[in-house]
Amino acid sequence: MSIIKKIVTFKPGFNLRVIVGLISVVGFLSACAIVGLGDLSKALGAQDAKYTARSIEAGAKVYFEQCARCHGADGKGIDSQGPALNSIAFLGKTDAGREVQKSQRILDIGWVGNLDSYIRAVTTSGIPLKSSNQWEVIHPAFGQAVGGNLRDDQITDVSRFILNWAQNPATSGTIDSPKPGAAFVPKPTSAPLTPEQEAGKAVFLKNGCNACHAIKGVAQGNIGPNLSAIGTDAAAIITAADYKASQGKATTVEEFINESITAPGVYIAAKCPTGACPANVMPPNFKTTIPDADIKSLVAYLVSLK
Amino acid sequence: MAIIGKRLVNQVKTTGLKATVAQRADETFQRLTTGLSWDDVRGILRGDPPPKPNPRVKPHTEGFWFHIRPTFYHEATTTLYPTFRLGLLSALFFAIEIITGIYLMIFYTPSPERAYSSMIDIITNVPFGMFVRDLHRLGAEVMVVVVTLHMLRTFITGSYKKPRQFTWFTGVVLLIMTLGLSFSGYLLPWDQLAFWAVTIGTSMADAAPGVGPTVNLLLRGAPDIGAGGLLRFYLLHVVLLPFIGIVFLAVHYYKVVRWGISLPPEMEAVGEDSARKVSPDKRVNFLPDIATNEIMYIAIAMAILAISCATWYRAPLETHSNPLVTPNHTVAPWYFYWLQGLLKIPHIIPFLPADIANGIDKFFANVIGITPKVLWGIIVGPLVFVVLAVVPYVDPNPSRRYGQRKIMLTIGGLFTALILYLSLAGIPTGVPITGFGFVGGAPSAEIGQEFMPDEGDGNLMRIPFDQMVVGDYQVTADANVANAPELNAIIKELYYDMQRRMNTADPNGRKLSADTVAQVKIAEIQPDLKQITLVINYTDDQTSAAQEFSKFKFIHRDSEH
Repeated sequence: MSIIKKIVTFKPGFNLRVIVGLISVVGFLSACAIVGLGDLSKALGAQDAKYTARSIEAGAKVYFEQCARCHGADGKGIDSQGPALNSIAFLGKTDAGREVQKSQRILDIGWVGNLDSYIRAVTTSGIPLKSSNQWEVIHPAFGQAVGGNLRDDQITDVSRFILNWAQNPATSGTIDSPKPGAAFVPKPTSAPLTPEQEAGKAVFLKNGCNACHAIKGVAQGNIGPNLSAIGTDAAAIITAADYKASQGKATTVEEFINESITAPGVYIAAKCPTGACPANVMPPNFKTTIPDADIKSLVAYLVSLK
Repeated sequence: MAIIGKRLVNQVKTTGLKATVAQRADETFQRLTTGLSWDDVRGILRGDPPPKPNPRVKPHTEGFWFHIRPTFYHEATTTLYPTFRLGLLSALFFAIEIITGIYLMIFYTPSPERAYSSMIDIITNVPFGMFVRDLHRLGAEVMVVVVTLHMLRTFITGSYKKPRQFTWFTGVVLLIMTLGLSFSGYLLPWDQLAFWAVTIGTSMADAAPGVGPTVNLLLRGAPDIGAGGLLRFYLLHVVLLPFIGIVFLAVHYYKVVRWGISLPPEMEAVGEDSARKVSPDKRVNFLPDIATNEIMYIAIAMAILAISCATWYRAPLETHSNPLVTPNHTVAPWYFYWLQGLLKIPHIIPFLPADIANGIDKFFANVIGITPKVLWGIIVGPLVFVVLAVVPYVDPNPSRRYGQRKIMLTIGGLFTALILYLSLAGIPTGVPITGFGFVGGAPSAEIGQEFMPDEGDGNLMRIPFDQMVVGDYQVTADANVANAPELNAIIKELYYDMQRRMNTADPNGRKLSADTVAQVKIAEIQPDLKQITLVINYTDDQTSAAQEFSKFKFIHRDSEH
């Protein structure tokens, strides 16, 4: 007890107070000086890099939730959905923060600002007009001010994420927008659908198949296989070895499509937009929930997609 | 000019130039020091004993700042014990908060669109911005600790008794102001941590019977926290609460000086207060002894604060607030953990057998309209401060001596222990051993939250960027990725954590299934940007179905997780 008493009843003399006080003041000023000198040289810059990096991470999250379904998980674009963002034509190239090659896209369209302002403008307000028929869909408006669901800081984040590709943009395999005014080649119009096929298309949309499957110009699901050309794809699948090895019993395209709808667990397709096709996702009970006549017209519609 | 000139010239003529300059300089010096001449100050600095009559008390009558300080202290109150200088430190930290707060006010914008980006601006673009912000945040947290210790000390030494009851009362008001200032400031960064902690707090106000919804609307300015809430909290934080705080601080300090600092209990007769009756041989004068003592303590406190902020301390800034996404394990600020623990009390009367307790709960809910949350959180919570405020008025014991206050000291000890217990319960991990207050979902989700939390950093995110080698790795005890010792260490840590959760059930009784396997997948998305995914395949303990838990984060080279 006496040691504790000695400590708590200790009274520093005048000289000790001055010395301890001076040392503390020196310590305080040193701390301020360290911070100040650090700020002057590099600390502010390091903090800036840190928060820019976190902005890119947040932008990645926004990109994969909102943008990847049309622009692709690798940013190289998806046919008829969205152009490549990870492309040297769109981004140009930067090297250690310096612009080495300008973005060709904003030169082509005559954009007055820089690429960052273009990305933010498009993300916020969308592109209201279809300038060519290469893209089946218009670019949605994501800004909260115009009814979208992204805040301004999220749009800044996603712009930083996209521009981060400019350090090493893809030079091949990208689906780039055509130059404005390029010779317009009208796409061959597909043969009009018969009434039964139209009915089948209505069944497709009514039963929510468009939530998982994509059909060019009709649906944009990206969980199940793309059905835009299932009429020709199915012919190849039923002759493939892995189908023969599975429990599938179809010998014609109609039978295969019918089997895929009514007994989806029998054969799992190999390739889906996000990787391997997941098992046990397609509902197995369409045979009972969709009337037979509807299934028939649905099959007729899907067979017509070549 | 002529008037000054004539008198000056006359003086020079009669006494000489040197004497005139000396006299004029001394007069100016005395005005600046409010009564001390140059010779007096030299005597102080030399350490001379004070002459009689003592000129060192003159500033206390002539100067404003000195008139509010006591002229002398009793010798027994000048050592570390009994006050530990906590009152001085409390006032000091209030002053630090005001000064650093004013600097931050210049750069901060209290609007939801600009608040977060103004915070980043302060940290990345303002000279000393991050330093001052860290000082402000650390200072606020230390202030809450110091103020609480000050209250504890005053309670233990019985210094709240006659005649100092009202001083204690104003002190409790100051405690409420301190907590209010800390809480209102907590919202201002407008990140996920701030937004959800304050949403929880104000939702509690909403749940209060009667006035609750009105108070909630007054605080938020709207049904949800948005622009109105942020601005109101900002005005509370910089105008109303500091104003009330300064007014009550003035009253509190006046009372402290008027009654004097209470002596150690063993030195006084029971029931007597002799703090102001100090015989001359026991007096320690303010100038120079107490003043230099205080300056030393202030210098030490500031040095510790500044060195901490220059080295290890970083105030957090999480991701931008998102009203649609509540992060896992959202908690109140640490000084309100006890309130969160109170809210977790499951029954109106706990510790009873389950069916009796449930019956009582039903009765209270149906007949009186009060649920356990309302009773314990909204009624008992604020009651704690009422209880604190009335302590001096209900304490009948006139003695301050520890040996004669066993009952009160025991009650105080139990109260403190209860607050600490409830604080532990307020944290999502709950109280150790009893498990009260544990909040957790499936063990796989808890692993995900521990290694890759929704907000903040986890070990999977802290691996150095170059050691995040691209690939898929099974989580085993002998992870062996080339050139990646930290990655291997974290994978092993994951493995042992999984083993632990397989062997011991959490307080909710859930275990990780014995057939659980996990993978860590690292992919490169962009230059300098990688994606790290944790995949856990397990059998759900409640439905016995095979499940997969998957969580990912994007990590950039420069983001310093």
